[in-house]
Amino acid sequence: MFKGLSLLIILLLSATAHAEHWPAEQWSTGAAITGPALQALETYAFPARDDSTRKGIRTDALLVIRDGQLIYERYAGPTTADTPHLTWSISKSLMAAVLGVAYGEGRFKLQDPVAGFYPPLKKHPNLTMADLLHWASGIDWQEDYEYAPLKSSVVAMLYTRGHTDMAAFTADHGSYAAPGEAFRYSSGDSNLLSAALKTIVGPERYADYPWTALFEPLGIDHAVWETDDTGTFVASSYAYLTARDLARVGLLMARDGRWGERQLLPKDWVAFNREPFVHYRADQDDAVPGGHWWLNRQADGAAQPWPDAPADTFAALGHWGQAMYVIPSEHLVIVRYADDRDGTYRHNELLKLARKAFAGQVQP
Amino acid sequence: MSNVIGRRPIRSLLLILLLALLGWIWHERVALWAFPDIISAYTAKEYCSCRYVMNNDAQYCRGYVKQWLPVSGFTDDAVAKRITVSGMGRSHSAVWMGEHQGCRLSP
Repeated sequence: MFKGLSLLIILLLSATAHAEHWPAEQWSTGAAITGPALQALETYAFPARDDSTRKGIRTDALLVIRDGQLIYERYAGPTTADTPHLTWSISKSLMAAVLGVAYGEGRFKLQDPVAGFYPPLKKHPNLTMADLLHWASGIDWQEDYEYAPLKSSVVAMLYTRGHTDMAAFTADHGSYAAPGEAFRYSSGDSNLLSAALKTIVGPERYADYPWTALFEPLGIDHAVWETDDTGTFVASSYAYLTARDLARVGLLMARDGRWGERQLLPKDWVAFNREPFVHYRADQDDAVPGGHWWLNRQADGAAQPWPDAPADTFAALGHWGQAMYVIPSEHLVIVRYADDRDGTYRHNELLKLARKAFAGQVQP
Repeated sequence: MSNVIGRRPIRSLLLILLLALLGWIWHERVALWAFPDIISAYTAKEYCSCRYVMNNDAQYCRGYVKQWLPVSGFTDDAVAKRITVSGMGRSHSAVWMGEHQGCRLSP
């Protein structure tokens, strides 16, 4: 009797240990975390907020998924669990995930010339889908935001000369390098991908494609993705999701593109997303570009951009402090929304403190 | 020529600076002409999304879109979900389009 019971307990324990958690309509919640490490994280992420000076770290949402379960979330300012928050350039990585579904349908290859899907690019005939995903179009683009409004291509694209047709505005720029030869972060490159997708999946499916391809299979109900006047999604900047919903995309990526039983993104697609771009030069940006995601990898002789996080950490990052970090080796997805108006916030500091609070506590 | 510069060095220098300035204005004419549009277009678009996509309250959204350049006119038609903003002599509107599409700057 006793022997049978202990065997049953062992079986139950091992079943629990190996059960894979996935969110249903809601995330299931894991054991709540408390203690000094969590306090240190909250002291860093949620200092007193001053909406008149807008100085310092201004986290709107911080949410942590471990092993497929929600173990922490906190909101500040006007943001709640129901707020579809502006993701800014996290949208770029979301577009990569949407493209990954089309890639899985066999609708394009990484080395396909983009001009085949978007004819205004015919003056850049050798530009491939992979080059755009690496932000290596060679197109002479200026990404500065508010600090150089006169010269900024991105401000002109979003608000003035380019806003009616952002891909055409981008394609109209000249070149400074051959495609695929050099990294230069460009919101224009992301919107060219978005325009190419229209032909790749067909204009009839395009208007609903992010929802049918990505959001609905993941159980994301309230995503918003704004378009320009031609109906092209502003893949560079304007997707909105709740923190809980964005974390679903993080879990998809943490598990190599698999959602439950379904391989939604091909494994080789996610591998491409996570492979450093070979022509990236040290310190060109805050992290190492992969295929429209940011990587914590050594590159070109430089150290990892976030030394206090594992080398397999990768992220989707946006203006004003938006971030989603994925750490597959520690089964962690961390979403941070913010309204940081200065450069005080540090990815590495957040990652260091979050790992102290959350990493590795379920291991036997 | 060198005689002219020698006799009127300050006037010559100012003339050269003026020519350089005119050249720069000509070179940047497209960007300069678009520049005054930024503040009203930015404010209209980002306020619209703050208010009607993110569903934040109106007072918060006014603070959220505040920049170092002033705006002179601001109307939020809550029924049509249309924002119109004036600043630097230009005026722009943004409209909420729907549940999936959010807000868009009018052409």
